[in-house]
Amino acid sequence: MTSASIPRLARGCRLREDADQGWVLLIPEGVLRLSGPGPHILRRCDGSRTFGEIVTELAQEFNDAETARVEAETNAFLNRLIERRIVVVE
Amino acid sequence: MRPQALIAEITHRCPLHCVYCSNPLAMRPRGEEMPAGSWEHLFREAAELGVLHLHLTGGEPALRPDLEELVRAGRAANLYVNLITSGIGVSEQRMDALIEAGLDHLQLSFQDAQEAPANEYAGARAHARKLALAEVVRGRQVGFTMNAVVHRQNLDRLEGIIAMAEQLGVDRLEIANVQYYGWALENRDRMMPTRRQMEACVESVRNHQERLKGRLRIDFVPPDYYARYPKACMGGWGRSLMVVDPAGWVLPCHAARVIPDLAFENAQSRQLRAIWEESSAFQRFRGEEWMPEPCRSCDRRHEDFGGCRCQAMLLTGNASATDPVCSLAPDRGLVDAVVERVNAAPADTPGWVYRIDPV
Repeated sequence: MTSASIPRLARGCRLREDADQGWVLLIPEGVLRLSGPGPHILRRCDGSRTFGEIVTELAQEFNDAETARVEAETNAFLNRLIERRIVVVE
Repeated sequence: MRPQALIAEITHRCPLHCVYCSNPLAMRPRGEEMPAGSWEHLFREAAELGVLHLHLTGGEPALRPDLEELVRAGRAANLYVNLITSGIGVSEQRMDALIEAGLDHLQLSFQDAQEAPANEYAGARAHARKLALAEVVRGRQVGFTMNAVVHRQNLDRLEGIIAMAEQLGVDRLEIANVQYYGWALENRDRMMPTRRQMEACVESVRNHQERLKGRLRIDFVPPDYYARYPKACMGGWGRSLMVVDPAGWVLPCHAARVIPDLAFENAQSRQLRAIWEESSAFQRFRGEEWMPEPCRSCDRRHEDFGGCRCQAMLLTGNASATDPVCSLAPDRGLVDAVVERVNAAPADTPGWVYRIDPV
């Protein structure tokens, strides 16, 4: 993924938050329960932000965390979901 | 323990007559089908119980004119709504209405990549209409899975089935070997793959999964008669799924009625939570108390939960037996005999037993 890539949730995949079950990613035939930075990343994969913008926002949200580290972790997280066709890149 | 998914069989009626239909042999007639209001109440109860996924299935769910209403009710209850359909009865306009109502995902069944055999297995001229619907879905904002049931008669065309999924632009392809319950059991000797076919299809699917990674997800259901260990049927009895039939009867599995001494309860006369937590049908095979040896002391009991209760019933006559597909099962010989027979004999035994419609 480059900083200009626009990752978004694939059709048929939906992020849901509720008081009872927390953040869950609903996918065909399954559920991924999210914790840590996962929901913060996926909330931003809405088709309007580039990967670069997502990383910048995350670094700010996590108290100016080191951008290179945020970028590497976000990239790894999204790539796992891209392989499973839960996230697609434009 | 709370259920993750509700499988709602909103009708047993169907314009297709598939030779491997998973509906029970004894189906609910139209007059017993619950009205939309009862389903809507049930969806809310399911969501309160922790259910996340709603699978609307049948029969053919699109035969119900209130399908859009049911989709809307599922979404209103904050559920992920999946429609499992043959595609018959879903026009372009209706597809848009279903998406507008909040449909998350569509699972469209195909019987083959070629029209003539596809229509033969479906017992209906359905293939061309499925292709037409797939073209409609291609550009729409709804998840799209193609489901292909495979068996001895069509496994040699598996490459064509995978190529078709690619051409249709689906997000996900489910290649499911026939499971032998209900109608499929009636046709077992015609459908059971040979060992050669089974090995070829496992290899082929693995290669295509790797090739298509990130573009098209392929999920695979292997033929369990060839397995060493049983499948974790329904993710374990009463652990994560429940099925509600058209008349509101709540079952731990589609096929559970083949087990004669289970007492089922109806969602119209009792709260869903109470049925899930307390009904004797759900309690019967929960946990490990019911397990015989070799399951009881087996390390795999937390993975496969002893396999499938309905398969144990159908093949051994005892629903509490170890699933006979397990290589450790005392009754494995019953499965081996079937496997030997189909590998020795040509598949051209007399005609299909087609699924009939409820009367």
